[in-house]
Amino acid sequence: MNLYEFEGKNIFSQYGITIPKGSVIRRGDDSGAVYRALATEKVVMKAQVLSGKRGKNNGIRFCDSVQEVRAAADALFHTTIGGQYVIAIRIEECLPIAEEHYLSITYDTGTKQPVLLYSVHGGIDIEEMPAHALRRYPLDVRKGKEALKDISDIPFARELWKCFLDEDARLVEINPLVKTVQGTWVAVDAKIALDDDAFFRHESWKDFAPRTMLGRPPTEREIAVQEIDKGEEYYRGTAGKYMEMDGDIAMLFSGGGASIANMDALIGVGLRPANYTEYSGNPPREKVHKLAAIVLSKPNLRGLWIVGGVANFTDVEATLQGIVDALDEVKPRYPIVVRRAGPHEKEGMEAMRACAERNNLQMKLFGKEIPMSATAKVLAEMVH
Amino acid sequence: MGILIAKGSTVLVQGITGKEGQKAAAAMCAYGTNVIGGVRPGKGGEAVEGKPVFNSVREAVERCGAIDVSAIYVPPFAAKEAILEAIDNNIPQISVIVERMPIRDVAYCLAAAQEKNIRIIGPSSLGYISPGVGRVGVVGGPKELADEIFTPGGVGIISRSGGMTNELSWQVRRAGLGQSTAVHIGGDLLVGTSYADLLRLFEHDAQTKGVIIFGEHGGSYEFAIVDLIKNGEYTKPLAIYIGGKFASALPEGVTIGHAGAIVERGRGAAEKESALAGVGVMIADRYEVLADLIKPHILLRL
Repeated sequence: MNLYEFEGKNIFSQYGITIPKGSVIRRGDDSGAVYRALATEKVVMKAQVLSGKRGKNNGIRFCDSVQEVRAAADALFHTTIGGQYVIAIRIEECLPIAEEHYLSITYDTGTKQPVLLYSVHGGIDIEEMPAHALRRYPLDVRKGKEALKDISDIPFARELWKCFLDEDARLVEINPLVKTVQGTWVAVDAKIALDDDAFFRHESWKDFAPRTMLGRPPTEREIAVQEIDKGEEYYRGTAGKYMEMDGDIAMLFSGGGASIANMDALIGVGLRPANYTEYSGNPPREKVHKLAAIVLSKPNLRGLWIVGGVANFTDVEATLQGIVDALDEVKPRYPIVVRRAGPHEKEGMEAMRACAERNNLQMKLFGKEIPMSATAKVLAEMVH
Repeated sequence: MGILIAKGSTVLVQGITGKEGQKAAAAMCAYGTNVIGGVRPGKGGEAVEGKPVFNSVREAVERCGAIDVSAIYVPPFAAKEAILEAIDNNIPQISVIVERMPIRDVAYCLAAAQEKNIRIIGPSSLGYISPGVGRVGVVGGPKELADEIFTPGGVGIISRSGGMTNELSWQVRRAGLGQSTAVHIGGDLLVGTSYADLLRLFEHDAQTKGVIIFGEHGGSYEFAIVDLIKNGEYTKPLAIYIGGKFASALPEGVTIGHAGAIVERGRGAAEKESALAGVGVMIADRYEVLADLIKPHILLRL
């Protein structure tokens, strides 16, 4: 989960990393009153988005009056920044900057360990930083403070490393890390990506508002699907992935790899996905039922593609039964194509066939005799 | 003999009394893998699938002698401890089936394993299979389905996806070929054994005449193949399919499919394909084409 800047700054300050004095403005708040309460003339207004280059996309405004603050708040709440939905604005004091540095810690797939990146030329995107300006320090995740013994002079390195480990982050970044003309170091920006898989040791993560990186607030369906994998048996199969898209072909994929190959195949035959959804790891019938019911609840669908590879151990009967349960409730009128194989495929296909018959569905069933991608074409022909 | 398992290799199942561990033990035994027992603290003395359960890895080693492979079937919150126990007891190869393991725990285990030259496969790996030799994990599914899909042959298979490991193996069989070893490396950002690691093993495996790979957008493991080929460390025919072309239209940072399949500029499916095509790797536009691409090369080398 990616955090907004204001959430990241709250966490940074808990680790002793200095952040600028400031507040958060939500839609409907009196931005002028917040500005006055800050009691500082020059402020910066920063659109809160999950990613996207705010500077370049006009998401950062400098103001020095109530009128300017109100106008900037209004403008920022009526725009997207690099395709990202603006959830809030952080208003903070404008600092007299002497130097801008860069500091981050993330995982390096080469060393398969964390790496600390530091540059004295911060304030620009890391991709635009010349390679020689960026110093890389490999870290050992097993070590605490002593992992930093050679670089303890880098400002906030110790605090950021502790934050990275204790918060189970996948990325922590301060850009720019500012040295003020008075000589104090301040984290002027904050980027944190948390590792969702570590949620069981972080009770407080429950309190973060639902979010998506798709340039809009999460939809009701997206929020509902996330609930499916929560609870004690979260690791018994995954059925909690749903991303709403603007097409009209509903999708129920099994398997992460198959799902991305099939998205490419569907778009390749000229169809447009209504959603991206994937279940895997042998989820029980009930989980798949919940997921399928939400996928089918989207209005104006024109087709349904239920597709997966030759399963290793996922029970094809139980998972297809979960979908049958939803089809029995919804009884869609649009064409449906199924392609699936694996353990108990015969029983699973028979359940599908019987469901099609009793509900008079337009359904074509395939096993492993044809590849998954080929059945995208079949669906395209049925839909057109 | 496969690249990761030989006939008779001894396999321990940590978490053998759980539902998935039990199922895996049964699947491995059915395929002729030499499962010597399992571990579950507090359940020592019991038996699963006729195999003894021990209280600890140490006890298993003391009672059974050298263990070649440990397969980890525990919940994600217990995975780090289980893997470290296997490392402490010098098990040379650890297959981590656990999904949704925190990345900090993964990195911790990988560092500890590397120090002792221990190979970790996974996490989030269903395992691997060498037809006619054995399997670790449940790749291929129930024995009778596995036999429909797998037969000894010259194609090595590597996949980021468990389902696609089986699906690709089936496409190979449909093309009239067999497999040497099919490995699911797992879809996490950090994997213990990468494409390049396995290609080095396939290079030295006489049975393997060529390799096919199912890759994904995101991460950098595909780019490591380019260097491997440039350095002459892998010289056999190689065909690859990279999924996730649609993802380049999504905002940066979105994860889709697997945890490692992050939308990142410069690391998309198209960039990976062009880098690999540049060193002579055959590129499939649909996954099922992989078997057709590799087939003439395999037949030529038989």
